[in-house]
Amino acid sequence: MNDSKQTDPSLTSAIQNVPALAVEVHDLHCAYGKTEAVRGLNLRVPGGRCYGLFGRNGAGKSTTIKCLLNLLRPQSGDIKVFGLSPQKDDVAVKSRVGYVPEHVSFHPWMTVARVLRYHSAFRLHWNHDLQSQLTACFDLDPKKRVDAMSKGMRSQLALICAVCHEPDLLLLDEPTSGLDPIIRREFLQTVIGAYMDSAPGQKTVLVSTHLIAEWEGLIDEFTIVEKGRARITMQTDKAREHCRRIHARWPGTVPDLPAELGYREPDETEGAARLLTTKYTPEQEDNLRALGAETVEVEPLTLEEIFVATSAMPNEQEGRREL
Amino acid sequence: MHIEINYKSGKPAYLQIVEQVQISAASGTLRSGDQLPSIRDLAEQLRINRNTVARAYTELDHLGVTATRHGLGVFIADFANQLSTAARKQLAQEAIDAAIVQARHLDISDEEFMRIAEASLISFNKRRGESK
Repeated sequence: MNDSKQTDPSLTSAIQNVPALAVEVHDLHCAYGKTEAVRGLNLRVPGGRCYGLFGRNGAGKSTTIKCLLNLLRPQSGDIKVFGLSPQKDDVAVKSRVGYVPEHVSFHPWMTVARVLRYHSAFRLHWNHDLQSQLTACFDLDPKKRVDAMSKGMRSQLALICAVCHEPDLLLLDEPTSGLDPIIRREFLQTVIGAYMDSAPGQKTVLVSTHLIAEWEGLIDEFTIVEKGRARITMQTDKAREHCRRIHARWPGTVPDLPAELGYREPDETEGAARLLTTKYTPEQEDNLRALGAETVEVEPLTLEEIFVATSAMPNEQEGRREL
Repeated sequence: MHIEINYKSGKPAYLQIVEQVQISAASGTLRSGDQLPSIRDLAEQLRINRNTVARAYTELDHLGVTATRHGLGVFIADFANQLSTAARKQLAQEAIDAAIVQARHLDISDEEFMRIAEASLISFNKRRGESK
């Protein structure tokens, strides 16, 4: 009975709360000519997590990821990947990182087998079993040429190239946007699962996406990026517990509501208010009733709803907000 | 064992697993000694992160609902012995409090609430009698 109470060590390591940081970005600025894509972004990605970078098109997600890989040179700011600078320790960082870009491009004349051989040649370590397993799972024909492949198949090939050297950090830039729903499922379940399972608690995924619903169950923590800055950073569990839309209704007109009750969403009907809060407590309902609200309904939000709702909020609290 | 994660429930996913296993164990759907799926299998089945499943299993162990046998897997513990009366009462209390809050929101009168609770108890006991 005694030993049955002992917890599996791999099980505890996977959920420890204080892992080392895989990625640390401080006050990053990056511009394309006169266009500032990233404007003072801060980001801390703990190791062993599946981290989401959510944002609309043009928010600065891809630019940030490219800076992590030293594919773009930022104007200013500090970047550390596993404590190393991507610029100064280019090879050391790249050897530990797998990357699937938003727009995949291979030499069009290469076959699947050739692409894989080519990519493996750049790596000290290559898991050939994983390569065959994933090639079979995606049903990719090794003899097929890249220029005869669909967009989705190229993304799958890029993913195989990114995970087979078993990196400690997997950077995915809008990875599922070109994939059909069946492949997306496969992608999320099999690939991310197998990757994170290969060394529980040590493999980190940083994924940028606006298809948040697809990633709902996989994301441990996320940052919403807006106009080149981190708007909101939250742990997914905390977000589910504390983000609410409160629908309140008054017999007459809505009185002035204190700001701490939440952000008041526009387009409300007469006598009704919709409040968006990231710090929900049941007392807020009591407070609304004390202010004369007749009915108070609390609506929990999915990650996607949180993203959509917060992007409409005025941006008076910029930078990192933690719960 | 059927577990469903509802992202609209406002509850962390790990907690939803914990609660559903607890309920299955209390209702007799899961019996002492039954094995839970591996972390990997459940993560794939529910399309969730393995960290979430690991956290749920650690919490279930901590609550004494399950016992992890190293290298073998996670099993439902001898439920009645594992949880003290006080702890079991507290669990029930929390669930009842949540139901009361919900009923208030839905404008259900206390009398109506008691009627629903009684009817649920009767049908639950009936179902449990059948499964035994």
